[in-house]
Amino acid sequence: MRVILETKPRKKPKIPIEAEAIIPQNFLLKNDIRVYEGNKERTLDEIFYVTTEGPAVSADQVEIVLSGETGVIKRVGEYMNAGRIVIEGDIGMHCGNFMSAGEIIIRGNADAWLGREMRGGVIRCEGNADHYCGAGYRGEKRGMRGGTIEVLGNAGDFTAEYLSGGEVRIMGDCGDLPGVEMRGGTLIIGGDCHRPCGNMTGGTCMVFGTARALLPTFVNAGSEEREFCGQRVEMNVFRGDVANRGKGTLFVRKK
Amino acid sequence: MAELLIRNAFVIDPLSGIRGEIKDIAIRDGKIVEDTGANAEVIDAQGCLTLPGGIDSHSHVCGTKVNFGRYMSPEDMRAGRTSRKGVMHVTSGYSVPTTFGNSYRYSTMGYTTVLEGAMAPLEARHTHEEFTATPHQDMLANTLFDGNWSVMEAVRDKDVKRAAAVVAWTLAAVKGFAIKLTNPGGTEAWGFGKDVHSIHDTVPHFGVTPAEIIDTMIRANEILNLPHSVHLHCNNLGVPGNYQTTLETIERVPDLHARRQTLYLTHAQFHSYGGSTWKDISSKSEDIARMVNARPQVAIDMGQVMFGRTTTMTADGPMEFKLYMLHQNKWSNHDVELETGSGIIPVFYSRKSLVNCVMWAIGLELALLTRDPWQCMLSTDNPNGAPFIKYPEIIALLMSRRFRDRESELLEPRTGHYVPLFAIDRELDWYEIAVMTRAAQAKALGITSIGKGHLSPGAEADIAIYPLKPQEIDPSAEYKQVMAGFGKTRYTIKRGRVVSRDGEVVVEGANSTIWTKARIPPELDLSSDPEFVKKFEQYYTVRMSNYPVQDVYLPRGVCIGTEASL
Repeated sequence: MRVILETKPRKKPKIPIEAEAIIPQNFLLKNDIRVYEGNKERTLDEIFYVTTEGPAVSADQVEIVLSGETGVIKRVGEYMNAGRIVIEGDIGMHCGNFMSAGEIIIRGNADAWLGREMRGGVIRCEGNADHYCGAGYRGEKRGMRGGTIEVLGNAGDFTAEYLSGGEVRIMGDCGDLPGVEMRGGTLIIGGDCHRPCGNMTGGTCMVFGTARALLPTFVNAGSEEREFCGQRVEMNVFRGDVANRGKGTLFVRKK
Repeated sequence: MAELLIRNAFVIDPLSGIRGEIKDIAIRDGKIVEDTGANAEVIDAQGCLTLPGGIDSHSHVCGTKVNFGRYMSPEDMRAGRTSRKGVMHVTSGYSVPTTFGNSYRYSTMGYTTVLEGAMAPLEARHTHEEFTATPHQDMLANTLFDGNWSVMEAVRDKDVKRAAAVVAWTLAAVKGFAIKLTNPGGTEAWGFGKDVHSIHDTVPHFGVTPAEIIDTMIRANEILNLPHSVHLHCNNLGVPGNYQTTLETIERVPDLHARRQTLYLTHAQFHSYGGSTWKDISSKSEDIARMVNARPQVAIDMGQVMFGRTTTMTADGPMEFKLYMLHQNKWSNHDVELETGSGIIPVFYSRKSLVNCVMWAIGLELALLTRDPWQCMLSTDNPNGAPFIKYPEIIALLMSRRFRDRESELLEPRTGHYVPLFAIDRELDWYEIAVMTRAAQAKALGITSIGKGHLSPGAEADIAIYPLKPQEIDPSAEYKQVMAGFGKTRYTIKRGRVVSRDGEVVVEGANSTIWTKARIPPELDLSSDPEFVKKFEQYYTVRMSNYPVQDVYLPRGVCIGTEASL
């Protein structure tokens, strides 16, 4: 089954839409799906032109396509456990919160908290991601625990904060403090970043660009080769964060 | 004139000496009166249990530390969400709910007055703002003086008058209600990276001991004639073997007040541990209860622990650090300049843990072994022992031996060797429960004179009608019904208005904040004391003129004025 949701023109297009109900398993059960526009509850067809094609017997066969002014839609794919969501443009904050399986593809940019505390599944963002991509919410001790997030553009600050499992792959640059408080999992940064991995206690982070202002609490443990985009790259290996008796590994490109 | 008549109510009103009789209650303009006119609105209580509105004499529901608990626990905020419904705001949270969440849940249980257990004077504004957003309960704020530099200097100089002057100025400035001492001296020592391990240890820099602080503050409190006594959280909270510190503290308390206690010892459960390590922790509730029975000048509250998830928060910074070392989970530590500190960590009390089972038993034992229910109040030190929504379950446990026995089967099997609980047959009756949940609190806080905790003419019309018929049900056997009944009132009436009906909140509500102002001679007024003003400007990060909480923060302030004996 393929569900196409195209946003309708709204009088106040900047009012955010809270759409945690937009997940494949809900469309399978044909529930009366409601979203919030600001503090007003709306049915799905008040906000979207809804087109449904074909049947589905399980949530795995449901594909949701979002298009139009999607940059203000928040929490799409929260607690998603199967199926596929394709977003033709940008997406708002908290996309893929707690998702445990399935696939989300974003053709544009993603706002903050992409894949926050996700447990499994795949998120692929073809544009940039904002702050706290794959992180844990404020006050949470564990961020993403499983699955994969791939961002083809850049990511903001605090990428993969509290990462404790799974893989976050940023092909472009990261902002400040990527992988801070990391406890497990893998963070791969294709471009540059600033102060990576403060307070990390476990996991692996690889920086294939320049790591600026590298923290002094990492101990150099030799060098190794790693492969990135089909190329062999000579990397410095660091262990840390020793300030926290951490046992994480940080790879940084040699030149 | 708004009039309301409650007919056929099975009233228990301990402060008026009513032990359960079918009566009518007449209300006019928010007060209880002798009778009403013919046009009064009538509620037929059908013989249901009708009590004065509940009073919680120790709970943490508002203020910076509660708020920190909220934002350090996103998982807790996800746990108890309710959506907007009628006049009800959206609420969320389980152990540290939003202010409206607290207010609605208390209201549903028939509570109409709540005392916030610890307000840091410097952060009073925030507390008062949250009070305003707790619309269904009249609020009071215990004000922290445990590490107040001016108080400790007065204690060092053995100047009780000076200590009283500091208390009077601070309470009036921050619109606080009473003196709270949390681990006196210990939190200040924690500022130096230390702690005090008995009431005779010296606090670094100041050279005073907790015992001296407690003694001085008790006397200062009585000099000021404050309605409530000193509200003490003893030293060594949660340390195995701490019952000796508690006994030693109680022994020092003089009997200085005719109508109420001289010391309120809060969450006594956390202070009644025997043994020397976590491995051999045992219950010393018998020793504590025996001491309390022998000293009418002391009142305690249970500080009951119930199993499940909760958040602990206290001004006792060093204790929370010890807990953090045990749990290795989240921890927040906070220093309030020149005054106090605090710490917060989330915890899970488990039936599989012997220590937790012993804690659970101690709270119940204290309530059952204290002979006079006026001396032992029901509390969980919300949310430290459990969220207050567990009160009905505690009431059921106290009223039913059968329920306790059934619970005992689920506990860690060795629990019985460490606690005397299962040898106690006492089952509390309706009257004793009414005392422990409202009347004793009103008496202990000294707010009966402003119409709290009783239903005699002239009192505030704060009433809870529970769907329980004491003449028909046997709480010992039908404890489940008791639990459900105390969990959801048929009607909660606040100031003569029905605020909650069958668990549903029906009005927006507007509460009042009760505070105290002691009049002292002008020569002791600290606002014109050059030394105090100089110290203030030198050490505080706020100006003295900006420090007091303005009246605008208390839209419905009720001031209890007292005349100091100076």
